[in-house]
Amino acid sequence: MSTEAIQTTLRAAPMAQPRRVRLEHIVMGGAILSLIVLVVLPLLFLLVGSLKGEQGMSLDHFAEVLSGRLYVNALKNSLILGAWTGLFSLLIGLVLAWAVARTDVPGKKFINATATLSYLLPPFLTAIAFTYLFSPNAGLINVLMRDVLGLPWLTFNIFSMTGLVIVTVMHTFPFVYLLASSALQSVDASYEEAAQILGASKMRTAFSITAPLVAPAVLSGTLLAFVNAIALFGSQAIIGLPGRIVTLPTRIYALFDYPPEYGLASALSLVFVILTVGALYLQRSFLAKRSYVTLGGKGSRPQLMELGIFRWVVFGFAVIIFVIAILAPYSTLIAVSFSKSWGLEFWKNLTLANYKFILFEYNVTQRAILNSLFLATIAATLAVLLGTVMGWIDLRTRIPGRKILDYASLVPLGLPGIVVAVALIQFWLAMPVALYGTLTILLLAYVGRYLPLGVRAANASLRQVDPSLEESATILGASWLTTLREVTLPLIRPGLFAGWLLVFVPVIQELSASILLFSSSSITLAVAVYNLYETGYIEPVAALAMINMMIIGVAIWLAYRIGGRSAGSRSEPAPVSA
Amino acid sequence: MAGISIRGLSKSFGEKSEVAAVSDIDIEIKDNSFVTLLGPSGCGKTTTLRLIAGYIVPDTGTIEINGRVLSSPSGVVSPEARGMGMVFQNYAIWPHKTVFENVVFGLKIRKVPAAEAKKKVTEALALVNLSGLEARYPNELSGGQQQRVALARSLVVEPDILLLDEPLSNLDAKLRERMRTELKELQRRTGITFVYVTHDQAEALALSDHIAVMSAGRVQQFGSPFDVYAHPSNRMVADFMGLVNLVPGTVRAVANGRGTVAVADDLTFDVAAPAGLAAGDRVDVAIRPENIRLEAPGAAGGVTAKLTNHVFLGNISEYYVTFPSGPVLRVQTHPLQRMNVGDDVSVVVDALQCSAFRHDGATSA
Repeated sequence: MSTEAIQTTLRAAPMAQPRRVRLEHIVMGGAILSLIVLVVLPLLFLLVGSLKGEQGMSLDHFAEVLSGRLYVNALKNSLILGAWTGLFSLLIGLVLAWAVARTDVPGKKFINATATLSYLLPPFLTAIAFTYLFSPNAGLINVLMRDVLGLPWLTFNIFSMTGLVIVTVMHTFPFVYLLASSALQSVDASYEEAAQILGASKMRTAFSITAPLVAPAVLSGTLLAFVNAIALFGSQAIIGLPGRIVTLPTRIYALFDYPPEYGLASALSLVFVILTVGALYLQRSFLAKRSYVTLGGKGSRPQLMELGIFRWVVFGFAVIIFVIAILAPYSTLIAVSFSKSWGLEFWKNLTLANYKFILFEYNVTQRAILNSLFLATIAATLAVLLGTVMGWIDLRTRIPGRKILDYASLVPLGLPGIVVAVALIQFWLAMPVALYGTLTILLLAYVGRYLPLGVRAANASLRQVDPSLEESATILGASWLTTLREVTLPLIRPGLFAGWLLVFVPVIQELSASILLFSSSSITLAVAVYNLYETGYIEPVAALAMINMMIIGVAIWLAYRIGGRSAGSRSEPAPVSA
Repeated sequence: MAGISIRGLSKSFGEKSEVAAVSDIDIEIKDNSFVTLLGPSGCGKTTTLRLIAGYIVPDTGTIEINGRVLSSPSGVVSPEARGMGMVFQNYAIWPHKTVFENVVFGLKIRKVPAAEAKKKVTEALALVNLSGLEARYPNELSGGQQQRVALARSLVVEPDILLLDEPLSNLDAKLRERMRTELKELQRRTGITFVYVTHDQAEALALSDHIAVMSAGRVQQFGSPFDVYAHPSNRMVADFMGLVNLVPGTVRAVANGRGTVAVADDLTFDVAAPAGLAAGDRVDVAIRPENIRLEAPGAAGGVTAKLTNHVFLGNISEYYVTFPSGPVLRVQTHPLQRMNVGDDVSVVVDALQCSAFRHDGATSA
């Protein structure tokens, strides 16, 4: 009898407070609805668009995309690019990670900074800088070698698959580096010591114990490098197109030349997505095995291997990477931005005219800078707000289907920017609202694309707030909103701000999606750089690139200043491409 | 089979050797014995074990096994060449290998033919009661089972010396007790020399032939479990080994190796005097709660005191008795001896089981 009574009371209890739950439901409903509008519906329309034939539904577009020479060639080039980039990212990333984590190589902070910076620098700017040095006719180093020093065999044509791979690898090797070095550092030393005391040599221990333990992380980094490499529109357009190397993003871009082939573009986009999502799925399943590495705990750190004289060789290798990825391209951009005309004797005519031109004289670049600042600010704020609600739903509620929501919010990680653009175009062209070419559609693209970064940041921060902290506010009678305002938000604020900057930085340099969505009134910074470059404004491009870099620099500096250091390095690198 | 001689061993970490992890360790570990390094965390016991394993190079001193120097400041024989076994605190069972693959690893290194290796693994797993779990992965095993895999992995290569670093600390109380019995049994059966590290004094007492009580990087006492418990060589050892009442007092007189210590005017103890003790010295008297009896007031040799607190612990009862002059003693009695708080009792202390430790400057009660 008494048990029954207790059960009745328990059952009745939740019913007593539906009034309090309402606000929370509106907020959550809003977040779910935004996710549907930002991600789910555009993808559905992409699918529908790819199946819409002359009469009714058909697979004609897919047939064309999978057999037409142009498309198969693009797919092949993308795969070649991805494979080489993945391989070299693996080699460079693993060597540097091993050196930093397990040897006495000098300059570990320098190596770490090189990797971080290489990851943050916009690859399309690196690509442009390399064309200044190595374009076959006018490239500064080519001219120097061929015409001045008479060493024509020392010239290099950047407009080639080799050139494209080099530029891309400089952006993607940090994925392997970051995952591999954290894995190598967190393998509990006792795993290796246990093998050693059983008589295993250093070599044997490395191969039969350490390698299998870190392999999931290393492979996962390689796959991330692959996915990122093939999704980069900027470098593939800047270096690939002049060298007649057409890849998936540039082929999709070409399909929007008049008359636009929406159906083919959608079908090709879906093929592209299958490739990236497939790779990311593999990456997830590798990463799932990483629980290996975080096991253990109390054991001591592994002893560092003494490389002797060889440590300077490894250090030299890191310096070479630094020169190729950072020093050469960005000192070139600086030099070009101050030159009257770029050439061997550029230093004789230094000028500020390029900056004056793009900042005060040319209204297109002025508009582009303002648009980008505006879009990045709003997009970062929205992505973090939405991300916080998503993270909250995932971690703090028992709403059925919240895991699906969480997965859905991470889907954009697998979507190349250009695919997001195609999907948004398909969706909004079918809607009665005219958004094409407005700042709004760019905003939708950015928020959708970078929502995963917001969700991650919020998720990571929320995980560190023990629910009991919130529960102790609730038990004192605080409402959901009060608890959020007084307890949760103050605790996760630093993490959210870091997340905000993590979205701001890639949006400022976004090119892959913007290139299909902009109009003359909604032009953005990266698009302006690309267009100026295409029209041959060599020197102003560099100045505009420097403005871009300065904005990124300030944002990153802020991120490091405001406790973002840990938040930034803890989150696993996400596909960020311009 | 092998004995270990450790002489003058010291090691400090960091650039400046301001704090030594271990210093001046001298221990003689006999063949076939079970020796425990016991002490609070940070006392240097694990460092000593890792020195024995060869993971660390000593700053001074030597480690000899069967008369052969394996470690000295000028170099160490690397761990893989020592033929020892080691069980780690977190077991270090390789998560990517099955139970069988974990255990067979050492045999593969020794190039034991597959058929024979298989037989040995089966035997080793039977020895630790894990038969039938060969194909499991570590994450499918309980903590106790992982611990046994770690044991089997070390035992299968038939080492002369097995090093164990707090192997039971991650197990729950019941399992810990059972594994304790099994470990001791295993050591007797195999005759392997066990060097065992723990911070749990009960574990050390139950398992060891000899205990080295360590503190602040030094061996405070090396002796049989009974010796270290009943005749602690200093305050630290007395305090660390189980419960003890440390009562400050003054030496009244010393004669024939015994000293009379006055705690208060109405309370004196006749205890074994440490060398050099003189009348007037300030000392602490160490009295174990189980060496005190409570009797009806007026008992012979007893001092009257009042019962001020009672804690019932099931197998024993604890009483706190307060003497008129102030001192309080904790007493353990049989749970069936029932008295009431507030009663007067006669407190009888078994003086033969008490020790006295001189005050060394800073050390205070």
